[in-house]
Amino acid sequence: MVGESHMKKYILNSFLAAVVLFAASCKPEIDTVVGNSAGQANFSKYIAVGNSLTSGFADGGLYLEGQKVAYPNLIAAQMTTVGGGSFTSPFFTDAQANGSGYLTLSALVNGSPTLIPVTNNLAVRDASGRLTKYTGEVQNLGIPGMRVDLAFAAPFGAANPYLERLLTDTQVGTVSYFQFIQGRSHTFFSLWLGNNDALGYATNGGVTTDATNVLTDKSTFALLYSNLVNALTAGGQKGVVATIPDVTSIPYFNTVTVAALLNAAKAINPAAAAIYIQTGAGAVRTATAEDLIRLPFQSAGLFGVPNASGLPYGLHPLNPIANNWVLDKDEIIKVKDYVISYNSTIKSLADSKGLAIADTYSYLNQVKTGLVIQGVGINSAFITGGAFSLDGVHLTPRGNAVIANVFIDAINGKYGSNIPTVDITQYRGVKFPN
Amino acid sequence: MKKILLSVLLSAPLWVLGQGFQVNLQGQKQIGMAGAGSALALDEASVFFNPGAVSFLEKNSISAGVNPLLFKSAFQRTGSNVTEEVKNKIAPPFEFYAVWGPKSNKWKLGLGVYTPFGGLVDWGDNWSGKYALTSLNLKAIYFQPTLSVKITDRIGIGAGFVYNHGDVNLQRALPVNFPDGHSGHVTLEGTGSGYGWNAGIYINTLSNITFAVVHKSKVNTKLNDGTATFDVPQSLKTSFPDGNTFNAELPLPSTTTLGIGVPLSQSTTLAFDASWVQWRVYKELAFDYAINTSALADTKSARNYRDGSSFKLGINHQASDKFALRAGVGYAFTPVQNGYVTPEAPDADRYILSAGAGYSFTSKFEVNASFFFEDVKSRKQKNIETGLDGTFKTLVYAPGISLTYKW
Repeated sequence: MVGESHMKKYILNSFLAAVVLFAASCKPEIDTVVGNSAGQANFSKYIAVGNSLTSGFADGGLYLEGQKVAYPNLIAAQMTTVGGGSFTSPFFTDAQANGSGYLTLSALVNGSPTLIPVTNNLAVRDASGRLTKYTGEVQNLGIPGMRVDLAFAAPFGAANPYLERLLTDTQVGTVSYFQFIQGRSHTFFSLWLGNNDALGYATNGGVTTDATNVLTDKSTFALLYSNLVNALTAGGQKGVVATIPDVTSIPYFNTVTVAALLNAAKAINPAAAAIYIQTGAGAVRTATAEDLIRLPFQSAGLFGVPNASGLPYGLHPLNPIANNWVLDKDEIIKVKDYVISYNSTIKSLADSKGLAIADTYSYLNQVKTGLVIQGVGINSAFITGGAFSLDGVHLTPRGNAVIANVFIDAINGKYGSNIPTVDITQYRGVKFPN
Repeated sequence: MKKILLSVLLSAPLWVLGQGFQVNLQGQKQIGMAGAGSALALDEASVFFNPGAVSFLEKNSISAGVNPLLFKSAFQRTGSNVTEEVKNKIAPPFEFYAVWGPKSNKWKLGLGVYTPFGGLVDWGDNWSGKYALTSLNLKAIYFQPTLSVKITDRIGIGAGFVYNHGDVNLQRALPVNFPDGHSGHVTLEGTGSGYGWNAGIYINTLSNITFAVVHKSKVNTKLNDGTATFDVPQSLKTSFPDGNTFNAELPLPSTTTLGIGVPLSQSTTLAFDASWVQWRVYKELAFDYAINTSALADTKSARNYRDGSSFKLGINHQASDKFALRAGVGYAFTPVQNGYVTPEAPDADRYILSAGAGYSFTSKFEVNASFFFEDVKSRKQKNIETGLDGTFKTLVYAPGISLTYKW
């Protein structure tokens, strides 16, 4: 039958055509709705002002790997799709990639971490610990140890090795951080400063010995912070400011708990009944869950060691844990109150200037209870929580990625931009030894 | 001194089944008709579609077919401008049927071996959802011996016993990092088995409009002693010990189908199937590890599926003695509720389109081909358990061919 063979061909051809058509349109498409608008902001020259968190400090040191994943660097990379320009950072060289040196986790013994310092390939240029100078354009202006009050103290440039390395010899000791960050013709800025104005005091157990661990007066903070914001917005620039986290949200104060110490003591001497501390007010009393012990206490080698009278350290009222190891209940109330005051200053200044607010205070409080993001559980547990590095204060690469998204969401929300967020799964938590 | 517990380190691996795992490829002729045909005594694939219709088949026959399936899924994380896609991997759903009975007798025996559930997705080891899943290869192979009896000239009933052999390989990244920064990885691999049945009734009315009621039972598939392999840094080996095994249960749901066949002319038949898939049995997925540690607890993940359903309309046109043409359309409602969509089965409501053709070289030898296409709707989701937040879009392509010998 002629008709049949004709039909056969026709059918076969249509079938083939259909297959080809399907194959061509084979790819499932999803409309992309972000990464195409800067909104009312201009990201062509972004500068990041801040402290250690901004610099990429992690694991107790500033080193190249951490610098590369500092949250401003992650934000800047995402900004490139919406008009962001290049972003320069004072990176250590590959030969001196370990920068100031940092801590690594060398072993987990029955779940307890052994931390050892990295001491090779440092960028230390002299015996006093000063760091190899960096010259050239810098947009990541984060300086470990920087505080709102010390940003206005020119001598701090000589005392702080991270600022010293960025200053010329003539600037050292004469140029303040406040002066250093100006004149950079930025179009956009982030400002996350003030943590150390409270944290310096807290991480010294509420003991003030020098300018780096004083609790900055509330009204001084307000005045100086407004000077910073005014300088950064002098040309009408837009930007994002971040609030200061509650100091008790970090592993540094939540790892060595009173209960854990007591359990450890009981394991050796079942009669151990209480942990004794010396408070900031000078009293000696039994510690409770409301008193926080600093993370380094676990490796300080003090606990339980008998004194000359044979009384074990921390386990007898006559040999209590010293004030500087403990952020006691009253000190916590005090430092929390200061942080709340600083944050209300930051928010009201931001509102008056129309700036975005990255509320890291609220966010890190959520991290403290635990979040699950893109299949990754994140919390503020030491080592296992994934967000905080081995110093218990600073962020892991994963933590930086998460915080970068807090900033990006705040910027997008304020300025109608749509900077793509960071894929946090591409960034690691703590490295575990093999 | 101080013990750092690894207790909250990880939530354990998850595994889910979806409509996406229900594979509607069980007979080339029916595939060409979008999967409709329970009310047609078309061929030996009635062993699957309606055991009651088997006794109405005129000839004894044996057939084998395969439908290489390409599951093209894409994901765009919320807030991202990057679309990620699964790797191109071909899953091989297949079907084998044999039907035999003494000529002009009232009964027939049948055997079916087919793959009603399965999934093959490989998102790669470094995509943005890697901590939820990197890859899944799931196969359920049903073996179904069947007896079908004509109880009158117009009514047939049939039933088969179902044995399921299941195979699974599920992998995901673990958010713990090696010294060089790369993530840990877990592979869960195992085989399991389950039992069920498939029964149907076929009614040919005086007007030659045919009806079918078919029920395929739930097949609760038990996986015992599957291997759980954790690739983690040495320092975490005590938390994720080598040589661990797991048990799990997979309730493959029952399906009830109502079918209608309408002869439009001597050569053209319309088939309509409405199926109700009782996915509500899938309340949770539990993994029971042989060795538990402070970081590796048994898991129970809520799934909370609701029942799914599908509607399929197909047409079979016998263009000549030797040639047949087929086409079909369908629509399926997903059983996966909002908040429970996962990369294993990025499920959503879907459209089905199909076409097919058959050619009889001789009265004994026949070849059938089909092309099956599913357009799974785009679905923006944030998974309640993993927090995976983004939009999934999936297209499914499955060309197929089968050979039949009749006598």
